[in-house]
Amino acid sequence: MARSPLCTPRDHLLSRRQWLGATALAGASALAVNPLTIAAEAKKKGKQVLFVWLDGGLSQLESWDPKPNTPFGGPFRAIPTSVPGIHISELLPNSAKQMHHLALVRSLCTQDNSHSAGVERIQRGDPKNRGVTYPYFGSAVAKLLGSGDSGLPPYIHVKPLSGGFMPKDAGFLGPKFGALALGDGKAPDNLLRPETMTAEEDNERNELRNLVDQRYAENRRTNTMEATRYVFNMAAQLQKRRDLFDISTYSPKDVERYGKHEIGRHMLIARRMLEAGVTFVKVSSFGWDTHGDNFNGQGSLVPQFDQAFAAMISDLHERGMLEHTLVIAMSEFGRTPRINGHLGRDHWPEAWSLAMGGTGIKKGAVVGKTNDKGTFVATDEHDIGHLFHTWFRALGIDPKKTEYDNEGQPLPIAHEGCKPLTEALA
Amino acid sequence: MPRHLVLTLLLAFPAAPFAAEPLSARIDQLISAKASNAKFSNLSDNAEFLRRIYLDLAGRIPARDETARFLADASPTKRSKLIDDLLNGPDFPTRMSEQFHVMFMERLGDHADWSAYLLESFKKNKPWNQIAKEILRADGSNPETKGSSFFMSKRLEHYGQQTVDYSALTRDIGRLFLGKDLRCAECHDHLFIEEYKQKDFKGLFAFVQNAFLNDEKTAVVGEKPMPGKVPFMSVFKKIPKETGPGLPGGKELEVVVFKKGEEYAKAPDPKAKSPGQLKFSPLTLLSEQVPSKESPDFARNITNRIWFLLLGRGIVHPLDLHHAGNPPSHPELLALLADEFVAHGYDIKWLITEITRSQTYQRSGKLPEGVAKAEPQLFVTSLEKRLSAEQLIASFQTALNVKADPAAKTKIMKAYANAPREPEDEISPMLKGALFLLNDPLVLGWLAPQPGNVVDQLSKKPEGELADEVYLTVLSRKPTDAERQTVNAYVKKHEAKKAEAVSRLVWALLASTEFGINH
Repeated sequence: MARSPLCTPRDHLLSRRQWLGATALAGASALAVNPLTIAAEAKKKGKQVLFVWLDGGLSQLESWDPKPNTPFGGPFRAIPTSVPGIHISELLPNSAKQMHHLALVRSLCTQDNSHSAGVERIQRGDPKNRGVTYPYFGSAVAKLLGSGDSGLPPYIHVKPLSGGFMPKDAGFLGPKFGALALGDGKAPDNLLRPETMTAEEDNERNELRNLVDQRYAENRRTNTMEATRYVFNMAAQLQKRRDLFDISTYSPKDVERYGKHEIGRHMLIARRMLEAGVTFVKVSSFGWDTHGDNFNGQGSLVPQFDQAFAAMISDLHERGMLEHTLVIAMSEFGRTPRINGHLGRDHWPEAWSLAMGGTGIKKGAVVGKTNDKGTFVATDEHDIGHLFHTWFRALGIDPKKTEYDNEGQPLPIAHEGCKPLTEALA
Repeated sequence: MPRHLVLTLLLAFPAAPFAAEPLSARIDQLISAKASNAKFSNLSDNAEFLRRIYLDLAGRIPARDETARFLADASPTKRSKLIDDLLNGPDFPTRMSEQFHVMFMERLGDHADWSAYLLESFKKNKPWNQIAKEILRADGSNPETKGSSFFMSKRLEHYGQQTVDYSALTRDIGRLFLGKDLRCAECHDHLFIEEYKQKDFKGLFAFVQNAFLNDEKTAVVGEKPMPGKVPFMSVFKKIPKETGPGLPGGKELEVVVFKKGEEYAKAPDPKAKSPGQLKFSPLTLLSEQVPSKESPDFARNITNRIWFLLLGRGIVHPLDLHHAGNPPSHPELLALLADEFVAHGYDIKWLITEITRSQTYQRSGKLPEGVAKAEPQLFVTSLEKRLSAEQLIASFQTALNVKADPAAKTKIMKAYANAPREPEDEISPMLKGALFLLNDPLVLGWLAPQPGNVVDQLSKKPEGELADEVYLTVLSRKPTDAERQTVNAYVKKHEAKKAEAVSRLVWALLASTEFGINH
C-alpha cells in the first residue's frame, strides 16, 4: 500500500549511508541510557509483543464498545464476557470468553482522519515534531529489547500481499531495525537452498564469499562489506529456521481452531514466530475500511478476527507465554457512529477502542467510556502517546528514563506530554 | 601538482586563476584546495579504473578480453582514449537512458515510448535543457518526442478511489529538476528550511494542477483551462493568499484567463483522443521556465546529479536539498561546473568527459596509508557507488557470457530495485538480493557446469592460469598471490569434481561486495 505522508521528508530521515557509517558502533548507537541493562532485563524476562493491526479501521461499535438499541448502535447485540460487567459485541463470542486475560481502552481520541496520516501517526506513537521520522512501535521494540537469542530478526510482520524487508518502519533508528515482512504469511522468496546443494557446499561457498569480502575491505571503508554481511547472515539465520515457514507441519487441529481464513492462518504463523522467540510479531489484516455495507463487512471480518485472536490468547495463556508477552489489537482509528447513505461507517478518530493484554497489563480492566450514543469520549480522552507510555511500561521500559540517541540528538521514546494509563497496568 | 603550489596559485590569482585550463584540471585544483591537510588516496590502478569507467559509461563490467587488452596496453594516454571510446560506443546511450529512467521515474513504472525517447535523446546527445523542456511539456502530439510525456503521465494516474497525487508530482518536479524537496512547504512555510516557502510549493503546483492524463496507453497528457491563481493558506496562520505559477524563489507569472469557449488554440477532439491545445498553457510555461538560464537551480541540480552519478556523492547532498542550511561541500566547484555546463550548451557528454578525466574521479577507493576514515564530502578517496539492477543484469551477462531473457531480467529487477518512490541513491544491501544470489535457480543455473559455458571453460584451464582467469572474468582484475592460493587450494580439495568447485568459486565472487557495487 503506497502511502505518502505529508511530512516525512528526506531531511527528516536518517539516511542509510549514515546508518552504514554507524554500523561499527551498532548496538551502542541510538540508545542513550543503559541499553545493555534493558536488553539483559528483557532477556531475563523474555519480553515479547504481539501486535494485531486491523488496517482500515475496526468499528468500535461492532467490537469492544457496542451500543445496542441506540440510534447509531447498528443491528448487533452486546453479550456478557468472562469478566462480570464487561459487555462486548456479539460478533466476538470467543474473545468474550478470554476477557479475563484482556483489558479494554474505550477512550481513544486521536487526531488523524485519513488512513495515510493515521496509520503512520498511530504506529509511530505521534511524538512531538522534532524533524525526524520516528520508528514504528515494532522497530522501537526491536531496538529497545533486541532480538534475544532466537537467532531470528527481532521484528517480523505477517501480512497479506507482498513481503520483503521493510526498512522504512525503522525511521531514524536505521534500516537494521526494519520489519521482515512475510507476504501472504509466506517465507521470503528464495529462502530454501536448492535441493541439489549440500549444506557443506553451501557453507563452503559462503566461506569463500566472506573471504572475498574481507579481502576487499582490508584497506577500504568497511561499511558496505558489513552491511552485506548483515543481510547474508540474516538469510542464513532464516534458512536455519525454515521449519517455521512450513505450514504442512502445523497441526490440523490448530489450523481448524484459528480458522482457515487469512487472519487465522497468519495468526497461527505469528504464534510460531512468538514460540520461536521473535521479539515483536505484527499481524496485519486488510479490508476493514467499511465505508459501504458496514454491517456485512464488519459482520464477516470481526468473527474471523475473533476466532483467531481468541485462539491465540488461549494458547499464549496455556503455554505461560502471556506472562511475558504483551498483546495489542487495534486500528488507525474507529468508525463513525453515524451510518452513512451506503449503510457504511466512515473514519472516526474521536472516540474508539482497542484491546490489549498479557505482560504488565491489568486483567479485566476497562479504561474510559464513551457517552450513551457512543459519539464521544465521556471520560478523559487518550491519544496514542498515552498508549505508547503504557506499553513501554508494561514491557518494563521506563519512558522517563530511556531515550534514543539519534547521532547525538537525545529523543524521548514516547510523547513527553503523555503518561501511562495506570489503571490498565498490573 | 603539489598542493602548496595550488594554494599559492589560489592566493595569488583569486579572481581568474585557471581560465585556460580544461575543466578536469580545475576540478582537481578545487578539490585539493578544500582538502587542506587530508591525505589523498593514490590514483586508481588500471584495473580499478577500467571496471569503474565501464560501469559508469557502458553500464556493465568489462569483458574478460577487454580487461586483458587494457591491462596490457602500455600507452600513457590509454585512459582518456578509453573514456572517449566508451562515450562514443554503443553502450553509452543505453546506460544513460537507463540511469535517467531510474533517477527520474524512481521505479514508478515503465513505458516503451519513454525508453525509446530517452535512448534516442542520448544517442543524439541532445542538450539537457532540451530534454527537460520536452519532458516537462509532456506533449504527446509530437511523434518525435511522444515518449517524453511519461514522466508526467505516470504521475497523473490514479488508482481506485485515490485521486491524482498532484502534490507528489509537484514535489518530484522540484526535487528532480531543481534539487529542492518542497514537501514540507505544502501546508506551511518549511519549519527548518528558511527559504522553502509555501508560496514556492503552490507556485510550482500551479503549473501542473490542471494537467490530466488523457490516455494512459499512449501517455498523452492534457490540460484544463486555468481558472485563476491558486489560493492557499498556512495551517498555522490562517491568512488567505494566492499565487500564479512560478518557480521556487522566482517571479510569479501572470495568469491569463480566457472567456469560456475561447480557451483553446486547438480544440480537444475526444474522437481522436486529442486533448487540444490551450492558449494559456501552464505546462508550456513550465517547460520554458525550468530549463532556462534565468533559473540557476536548473543547471546546479543536474550538474550535481551527474557529479553524484560519477563520484558517489553530491556536492550538495542529499541531492534534493539545495538550500542555504545545506551548503555545497565545494561551492566554487559546483558554480564552475554549472556555469561551464551552460556555456557548453548543456552538453551531458562533455561534462562527463571532463569529470571522468579528472584525478578526482580516477582516485583509488583504497584508503591512504595510515588513514582509517576519509571524509566522504572531501572526495579524497573514491567512494563506492550502488549498481542499479540494470547494471547488474548487464554485468552478470558479461561475466557469465549469457543472455538474460525478459523473465530473467524481471527477476533480477525484483531482487535489486527499490520500491517505487524510493530513490536509489545509496548503497543498501538487501535481504532479497542476498537470498536471490544464494538460492534462486536463475544465477545458479548459469553457474552450473555445462559444456561450453563459462564455468566449464574456466575449469579446463591449467592450474597456473585458473585463478587469473576466474578473477579477470568476474572481478575484472588479476588476483593477489593470496587469492591465487585460495583458488588453487580449493580446486585441489575438490579435484574429483573440479567444475563444481569452480562454479562455487565463481559464485563467491559474483555474490561478493566487490562485484555488487561500483568502486
